[in-house]
Amino acid sequence: MNDKLNRQVLQKHLAQLPATHPERRAAILPMMQALQIERGYLDDAAVEEVAHFTGLSTTEVEELATFYSLIYRRPVGRHVLRVCDSVCCSLRGADQLLVVAEKYSGVPLGKVTPDGAFSVLPSICLGLCDQAPAALVDGEAVGPLDEAALQALLQRLQVEG
Amino acid sequence: MGTIRIDGREIPFKEGDNVLKAALAVGIEIPYFCYHDTLGSLGACRLCAVEITPKDPAKAPQVVMACLEPARDGLEVSVSALAARQVRQGVIEFLMINHPHDCPVCDEGGECHLQDMTVACGPPYRRYRGRKRTFTNQDLGPLVHHEMNRCITCYRCTRFYQEYALGDDLGAMRLRNEVYFGRFQDGPLASPFAGNLVEVCPTGVFTDAVFRQHFARVWDLKTAPSVCPHCSVGCNTLPGARDGTLRRIRNRFHAELNRWFICDRGRYGHQYSEHPARPLTPRVEDVKVSYRQALTAAAEQIKAARDKIGGLGSVREDLEGNAMLRALLYDLSGIFATFSDPQLEVATTTAVAQLQNTTRVLSLAEMEQVDAALIVGDLTAHAPMIDLALRQAYRNGAKLAVLHSGPTPLVRFAATTLTVPPHEIGAHLLRLNEWVAAPSAAHNKQEKELTDIATYLTAAHQPLLIGVIETMVAPEIAVLAQLSTALGSRARLAYALPGANAYGAALLTPASSTSAMLEAIESGQIQTLIVAGNDPLGDARLGARWRTACQRLNTLIVLDCVATATAEAADILLPVAAWAERSGTFVNYEGRAQGFASVFQRSEPLPSTAEVIADLAQCLGLAPPDAAVVLSDAFPGYQAPVPGTLGSPLAALPLPVQIDTTILPAKGPHPGRWQAALTSWYGDEPLAGFAPALLKLAPAAAALINPAIALSEGIAEGERVRLRGPVETMVLPVQLDNNVAAGTIALARGVLAQLGVGHGDPLELEKIS
Repeated sequence: MNDKLNRQVLQKHLAQLPATHPERRAAILPMMQALQIERGYLDDAAVEEVAHFTGLSTTEVEELATFYSLIYRRPVGRHVLRVCDSVCCSLRGADQLLVVAEKYSGVPLGKVTPDGAFSVLPSICLGLCDQAPAALVDGEAVGPLDEAALQALLQRLQVEG
Repeated sequence: MGTIRIDGREIPFKEGDNVLKAALAVGIEIPYFCYHDTLGSLGACRLCAVEITPKDPAKAPQVVMACLEPARDGLEVSVSALAARQVRQGVIEFLMINHPHDCPVCDEGGECHLQDMTVACGPPYRRYRGRKRTFTNQDLGPLVHHEMNRCITCYRCTRFYQEYALGDDLGAMRLRNEVYFGRFQDGPLASPFAGNLVEVCPTGVFTDAVFRQHFARVWDLKTAPSVCPHCSVGCNTLPGARDGTLRRIRNRFHAELNRWFICDRGRYGHQYSEHPARPLTPRVEDVKVSYRQALTAAAEQIKAARDKIGGLGSVREDLEGNAMLRALLYDLSGIFATFSDPQLEVATTTAVAQLQNTTRVLSLAEMEQVDAALIVGDLTAHAPMIDLALRQAYRNGAKLAVLHSGPTPLVRFAATTLTVPPHEIGAHLLRLNEWVAAPSAAHNKQEKELTDIATYLTAAHQPLLIGVIETMVAPEIAVLAQLSTALGSRARLAYALPGANAYGAALLTPASSTSAMLEAIESGQIQTLIVAGNDPLGDARLGARWRTACQRLNTLIVLDCVATATAEAADILLPVAAWAERSGTFVNYEGRAQGFASVFQRSEPLPSTAEVIADLAQCLGLAPPDAAVVLSDAFPGYQAPVPGTLGSPLAALPLPVQIDTTILPAKGPHPGRWQAALTSWYGDEPLAGFAPALLKLAPAAAALINPAIALSEGIAEGERVRLRGPVETMVLPVQLDNNVAAGTIALARGVLAQLGVGHGDPLELEKIS
């Protein structure tokens, strides 16, 4: 990631901080989100940059960045598929879906496909128990899924690039 | 106050206590992990489950966490209730799901809280047969070893490291069953108190990386109550030895001083005693000889010198060694001194004289309660545990003001910082005194800061004034004491003294003895010099002068346990026992005499300094002096403090105050364009300087300069400059640091010694074109 770009994004973001957030540290989550939207994920340099801008230590930023599962500290594909593996979805076959997804993508869960098209991540409960087994595709809910639907979905993501 | 009933037993409690604290205080061992006497309750581990019975008989008994349940009068608690036992057993079983089965090879084995608790409450077998969660460990530097798989998520490490010690490079990452305690990136832990992780961790996640290199099972270690020899605080320690070698140091609880923690210098500095260069065999003229032969040779030289003899004790030598040497010199009509630098002698004796004059000096536990403090110098490097105590004061809301010339970690927590060159420290202290006597308006930024400091101090319920003796001169020390008097009886005074027994040594030091000794050697009035635990030849300011002077000596007899420059140059070298190998007494910064016991003997036992001097006296045909007798001569009514007790104030006749503060000029004369300042770090100490693991963390040699001054002088970061001292010229890279005063070059002790300058001395800096 390019440090200069990081700084531009953060500066832009800081300028937009509402008056209700006078403390820079209060802006840490939106800042991390803004960087992630721009760059896909946060690398170590981005964490250091956020620390610099918020006045927090890199440890504090890292604690937050790694706590939130929607903040990525590793590269992800252009599309992210989060398959729920909590109780309801698991009972309805989510575990098998994850096996299928892993097999289809050819890389372990959490890694990016060689073409950079997508990453499959297991997720804690998405609150979509009514659609179990459910998943989020780039933030959009899908479900109930079966093996065929999942494969079709991954194929579509690959084609879309 | 009131009582609670635990399984039918009436237990008294103090206001604000929780059930766990009240129970532990009377020896009822409710199992727990995350609770810590100092770090408090968190309720993370859920192990201290107990059952309480509501007063209302219609309500059913309930299981609560003892550490979170406030003690209330008449509360009925059961530790043995079935429901509570089942919860505790369940907690242990869950914790053991991911904990590795590696107790037989784990460093923590034998002193593992998890092991104890599992045996005490857990199921004896595992039911879980699945895969365990695993982590990748980090390299946390040479002192602390990381093994995350063993973690039970009690959060004690981050609570100590971040909340208590105010470090910012160890955190709790991730979430759920993957919580990971570590750094942002691999690298050595930056806190001077990081080694305490080894003790606060209830299992083997953080273990002593130095102990690992030469490991012993804890039940095989010989231990005895000891006192840390690495600074004037006098923390209580528990060294562990095996097979005639010292393996590790642990904290030993002292309610008024270190309590549960010690600094990393205290924990890891002990490696000096196992250093490969440590002198273990007596030497005469570079030939290894027996102890008897060396003693006879020394006695012959002393006899030949008649009264042309000197004895140099030390601030790191115990009370017995110093007193015995003084008694021997008295019998021989020679000169006795304990310092290698007259300036440090006057500074230390002035400080001790002032401390004798004040009301009792605050203990570490009391320092945590002050609400304002003025710190003169870098406490972290000279008395790390006082720094930790003031961090607690800061957490409690105290205003800290730091008056300093070079880098000091406490500025991070200071409400006001005054960064001034060494020669202006005194003037600022005088201004503070004037302000306290007659408050006036501030006209510029510096005056505003002084006014702020004076305001905190005068407004405080209990202000503390504390100075670092090694970087102060006597008039400044006296002015700090005057400021304390001016602030009234609420104010407390303390000094970080330049050695574990500096207080005791100062009490035994005849006035102006250091310069008398140096001049006597230079003029040939001393032909034989006995040095015990001192390193005059390695002195920063006067090392070169001592080296020249000592060439005039017929014989240099050195008693030491480390290979100092002076020991290397000795004609007769008598190795002595290191601190854990002997018993003795240190007097700490408060004037508290603390005894330490001999922990172990080496395979070839070494005598203590006092024993060598007694043997020497016998060889000389003198009545063999006895340390106890000598000490009761020096200190009327002296009773040797028993090791393992709290220690007792040393009853000593008051030292004469030698300093007339009226001679302190309003502003010291400017010593030239650049002035040297000592920049130290927590591992910097004569003994700890021989501890290899600690030395790996020593900052790289550099000339530290204020960025604004560097800019105006056209000096860039990393640029190499030539420093010209009276002894040598050195080329060093420049490092820019905001915490260095204008006109000041902050340098490490070794660099100062090589250049031949002391703290506050003028120095020349040249750009290399």
